[in-house]
Formats: sequence, C-alpha cells, structure tokens
Amino acid sequence: MAHVIQVGAGSGGMVVLDLLAHDPRIHKLTLIEPDVFKPHNAERHYFPATCAGRLKVQLAAQWLHERRADLLVETLPWDILDPQIQADLAERVAEADLGVCAVDNEAAKFCFDSLMRRQRKPWTLGEVLSGGIGGFVHRFVPDGPCYGCVASYLQRSVEAEKPRTDYADPAGAQAALRIPANKAAIFAIASWHALLTLQLLDPSADRCSTTLLVGLQKVDGIFDEAPRVHRFCVPRLETCLLCGPPSQSEMPARADDLDRALHEALSRLEHPG
Amino acid sequence: MGLLDSQEGKKRLLTVELPAIEKYNATREPAYRIRVVRYADGLLLRYRLRPAHNDYDLETRLYSNYPVTPPETVVLTPLEPCPHLLSGQTLCLWRTGSLSATSRWDPAKHTCVFAVQAAWRWLACYEVWYVTRQWPLPEAR
Repeated sequence: MAHVIQVGAGSGGMVVLDLLAHDPRIHKLTLIEPDVFKPHNAERHYFPATCAGRLKVQLAAQWLHERRADLLVETLPWDILDPQIQADLAERVAEADLGVCAVDNEAAKFCFDSLMRRQRKPWTLGEVLSGGIGGFVHRFVPDGPCYGCVASYLQRSVEAEKPRTDYADPAGAQAALRIPANKAAIFAIASWHALLTLQLLDPSADRCSTTLLVGLQKVDGIFDEAPRVHRFCVPRLETCLLCGPPSQSEMPARADDLDRALHEALSRLEHPG
Repeated sequence: MGLLDSQEGKKRLLTVELPAIEKYNATREPAYRIRVVRYADGLLLRYRLRPAHNDYDLETRLYSNYPVTPPETVVLTPLEPCPHLLSGQTLCLWRTGSLSATSRWDPAKHTCVFAVQAAWRWLACYEVWYVTRQWPLPEAR
C-alpha cells in the first residue's frame, strides 16, 4: 500500500489525482494546493463554475471521497514556497512513498525537487507545452538527474522559435507562452503522468529516471508526426550545482554549525579588502 | 527554498556561491572585489567593474528564491538611456527560453559570479554603443 504526496490540483493535477486514486495500491494521498477555484477554471477542470470560491483541495477531497471512501486524503492548502512550512512539508514528504508534481511554476518545481531529493523519494512531473501541442512527463529517482539537470538539458537541446523580447514590457509574458492548452491536451498529458507514476508502484517495472516527450499536434520543426511518444533519459549533469557532487565533507552537519560557518563566510566577504 | 532560511539555501551559499566569490576576489585589486551584504531575506553583491576605460559601480541582488530566480543587476553609476537597460538602471540580462547560453539563467550551471561576468559583458557592449550607437551583440537585439 502506498502513500502519494502531490502538489498541484489544477486542471492537469486533478486528472492525475483522480487516476491515482482509482488504483487500489494507493491507500493515502496528501494534496498540497493553496488556490481557490475560480469561475474561469471550470473550462478545463472537473468542477463547475458554481464551485467558485472554494479551495481546490476541498473540492478534490470531496471528489475522491465520493469515488473511494476508503482512501485517506490529507489536504494542505499551503504554498510550497512558503519558508514557514518547509519543516512540515519535509515531514510529509518523509512519510510518503512517492511524489507527484503538477504545478506550472518553475520555482515550485525546483522546491519540490529539493524536498524529494533530500528525502530520497521518487517523483514525477507533468508539463503541458504552450498551446497544448504536447507535453513532457518526467520521472525522477534518487541518485538520478534532478529537475535542474533536466531543465538545463532541455533548455540546451529543445529547438524552439525565439520569441522577440518586448523591451517596453521585458518582464511580461511572451505572447506565445500565453496560448492556453485545450482540455483534451491537458488530460492526455496528465494521463501519461499518472501512468508513469503508477509504474513506480510496480516492482517489476523499470524504475530509472526517464522523460517522455508526447507530441499531440503536428507542428513543423517540432513534431513531424502526431500523436507520438518519444522516450529518452536525460543524463545527470556531472557538475550540476543543485544535485552534483557536493563538498559534503566540508559541510557542517549540525544546523548551528552551518549557521556559524555561513555567518563567518559572509563576515569575511563583507569587507574583502 | 529560501537562500538564507533553508538548509539547502545555506549549503548552496557555503559550497558554491561564496567560494566562487572568494575565488573571484582572490585575483583582483581591493577596489574591484565583490562585497557581500545581507539584503532583506537575500544577499546584495556590491562591486566595481572596469570593462574598458571607465569604472562602474554595480549591485547584484540575490533574492530569497535564488538560484531559481535569476540574480538582478543594477548599475549605480549614471548611464545614458540605451538598449537593454530597464527602469532603475537594471540590466536586461536573462531571457526565459533563450537558446543563447549567455542570455539564459541556468541555476544548475551558473553562480552569482556568472551574473557579475554577464554585467561586465553588458558594460563592454555599453561602452561600444556609447561611441557607435550600435549594440555590438546581434543576438541581444
């Protein structure tokens, strides 16, 4: 029996959650999602606009309870980037067997990666590409590449049209990134995400880190044919500054010693002359 | 992962960022070394660069969720309005999804010293632009 911890209950996350909850091998789900359901969410979500104003975790818990009354569901309306809850989050991750990341916020993905790596728990991540042309599903395992390795690799190797920077609004989102995916594309990628996650429960299945690139639409120069699934393994970046070989021998083990060492290093660099 | 309030952030500083700054400082005159000060829940790097004939004072801010969020660099020395300069004299250095290794922030590969070097490269371009009114790096246009 497995305990899954999932972050994100948006339109894709809810599909993953539902598919996992239907698997009898899973007995407990911990769901982290701070957002409130808004009327515009109804277009791509399981819930109607009349649910607007309620927490997504509450709606998800009710959905799961109606389908599997025996499933233990823990709902945490938390923002995983909140520094105040990091210790509690780490405890929850330690109790879980595997993790699911269904958020589209880069900072949250890095944060979840860090949490899962520290507790040496496998986890999966689903990402729908702009416009719903396809998506990525990644499976991470202890000692495999981290999210930083994968992100670094993909930025280097995935060819994409270079958007022109709008210097009048340089921090604004690129128009191309705002093209929403349709519900079918979100559900398709979420289904692959659930499948890759469920494989982690199968002792005979391949448990290495892997990435699926799922092409859902034919796009010149990106996906020559669709639908099509490409599977590849992103290598661990030997010099990754996030998961690479840390100089642990030089690192103080105790928190107090770590703080003292940091204070000394910062004091040294405050007046380097 | 807070830079100064999480174990992960502190370890990143102690094993990656601060040693990189010390290495950078080791080969420079005192006036051109990086000073590090605490800034809200992040860090501020204060330093001077001389890409050609002029000195420029700069600040690079490492916010709480650095290195996921790229560092932000501001030139304190007054500059003439020019391309790739944002409000508050913030340098336009990073672009999400860019294929150019020098204009894409990569937390798995870059340290804050890379941001300092990027600022040096930006200022070198500025000095050329100041004379020619042409930004010398085509991919940045």
